[in-house]
Amino acid sequence: MAKTEKILYSLTKIDKGRRTVVPTVVMLILTILYLVAVLSVPLHMPQKLIWLTAYPIFLSELCGIGYLKIFVRSLWILPILIFIGIFNPFIDTAPAFTIGNVTVNRGWVSLFSILLRGIIAFQSVLILVSTSGIIETFNSLRKIGCPAVLVTQLQLTYRYIAVIIEESLTIKRACAARGFGKRSYPLKLWSRLIGQLLVKSTHRATKIHLAMLARGFNGVLPTGNAVYWTSTSWLWLFGGIVFIAILRFTDFTSLLLHLTGNFNR
Amino acid sequence: MSHHFIRFTGVHYSYPDGTEALKGVSFTATHGERVAILGLNGSGKSTLLLQTNGLLLPTTGEVNVGDVPVTKKTASLVRQAVGMVFQDPDDMLFMPTVYDDVAFGPRNMNLPEVEVERRVTAALKAVGLEEVSKKAAFQLSGGQRRSVAIASVLSMKPDILVLDEPSANLDLSARDNLIKLLDTFHHTILLATHDLEMAKQLCPRAILLNQGRIIADDSTEKVIETFFSVCLRKEQ
Ligand SMILES: Nc1ncnc2c1ncn2[C@@H]1O[C@H](COP(=O)(O)OP(=O)(O)OP(=O)(O)O)[C@@H](O)[C@H]1O
Ligand SMILES: [Mg+2]
Repeated sequence: MAKTEKILYSLTKIDKGRRTVVPTVVMLILTILYLVAVLSVPLHMPQKLIWLTAYPIFLSELCGIGYLKIFVRSLWILPILIFIGIFNPFIDTAPAFTIGNVTVNRGWVSLFSILLRGIIAFQSVLILVSTSGIIETFNSLRKIGCPAVLVTQLQLTYRYIAVIIEESLTIKRACAARGFGKRSYPLKLWSRLIGQLLVKSTHRATKIHLAMLARGFNGVLPTGNAVYWTSTSWLWLFGGIVFIAILRFTDFTSLLLHLTGNFNR
Repeated sequence: MSHHFIRFTGVHYSYPDGTEALKGVSFTATHGERVAILGLNGSGKSTLLLQTNGLLLPTTGEVNVGDVPVTKKTASLVRQAVGMVFQDPDDMLFMPTVYDDVAFGPRNMNLPEVEVERRVTAALKAVGLEEVSKKAAFQLSGGQRRSVAIASVLSMKPDILVLDEPSANLDLSARDNLIKLLDTFHHTILLATHDLEMAKQLCPRAILLNQGRIIADDSTEKVIETFFSVCLRKEQ
């Protein structure tokens, strides 16, 4: 199967997500709380972040995705994070701590902090999307009070990706069918194809919009599935909040040192 | 809207690029009447149909659906009454699954979810496609997409049904099913088609468009005869 087609198929997978024990809306709220918890950890305290990794590990296993899969996917964000934090070690040269006779400066600590923070934050979002599906996630955003117009914009932008991929697929096929096995085309043709892709996608998007209007679209996508909050949702929400709060506010590091009797820095 | 009729009065329409697609079209389809719209490629059939629910508005002239003149303001009201199947099903299907696509209209009508589900199931069953409801549209065959597009309009239970070449890409049995299905629809139907057999079976009356003008409006049998002579003239 062609690569473009594979992307389409994986999009449908993301669309639907998979049924899990944790209700979607709860998952969304917990993810937001978790993001707040992660982002509120000061830059010079990466040890706190290490404990917070327990959340994506635990949740991905609970939902049956497996942490390894989430971890591998989350590495995608690494280049961006490195780009953000790479200069820290050279700017912030004040010493943080020493191991043996190597002094580590604060810049390295904050770089590590940025990488870890970014990765686990991204992991939590990945878990949300792969369990609830993009569509449900959007619907839940509506349910917790995000303005409908905003969410509809997000949804349509997301659907538009599929439209562009489909159009590019048909152009690709049409080229292949009449290309007599030719694999590369001159740059000039490429630029025209891409222009054509935009024109065709826009045209189709316009047509789709007309068809939506014809079926009573009034600017807001209907959410459907009525049941969003059940009695067990409260349990999941409560449990999740407690879990995140414990991870965030307990000083596990000193607790551990204390327990092992080595509390003498 | 108690009277499900459609009336075109002197409708002209030009596309933004200046193409004059309709040049003074007038006709009335009364309640319960089924009218076939025939004509060569580019004669203006699709353009005419798009006027019935205000997706295109006449440059001059007037379209009435029931007692309501179709304008920008009344368009959303009219669209609840007029269900429209587009010529290209890909233009209609955009939701992640077939189910969601068929549910799109009913959900826009703010129906309770139980009712939405009932309608979606019924509509998919009517076109014989219950088993693909969880698939995405791009995973369907051309004919299946067509059927889903039809189902997505049936689920709205429109008072007037407007179809643009609904039998294109359908296999013989799907086409037969469609004809039977439309035969059970007791409201007004406008049907643009190149499928003359289907036009004959479903519609007692036909309108022949040629270069944006109505050149015949009579019983389908007679209009088809005129149509043949137009085709012959074009070939010569
Ligand atoms: N978006 C557009 N912009 C400009 N001109 C258009 C557009 N769509 C259609 N036309 C022109 O308007 C005229 C009528 O087109 P229309 O699509 O109504 O024909 P049709 O009878 O439905 O043809 P077919 O049987 O091929 O579907 C044609 O000359 C066509 O080239
Ligand atoms: Mg047409």
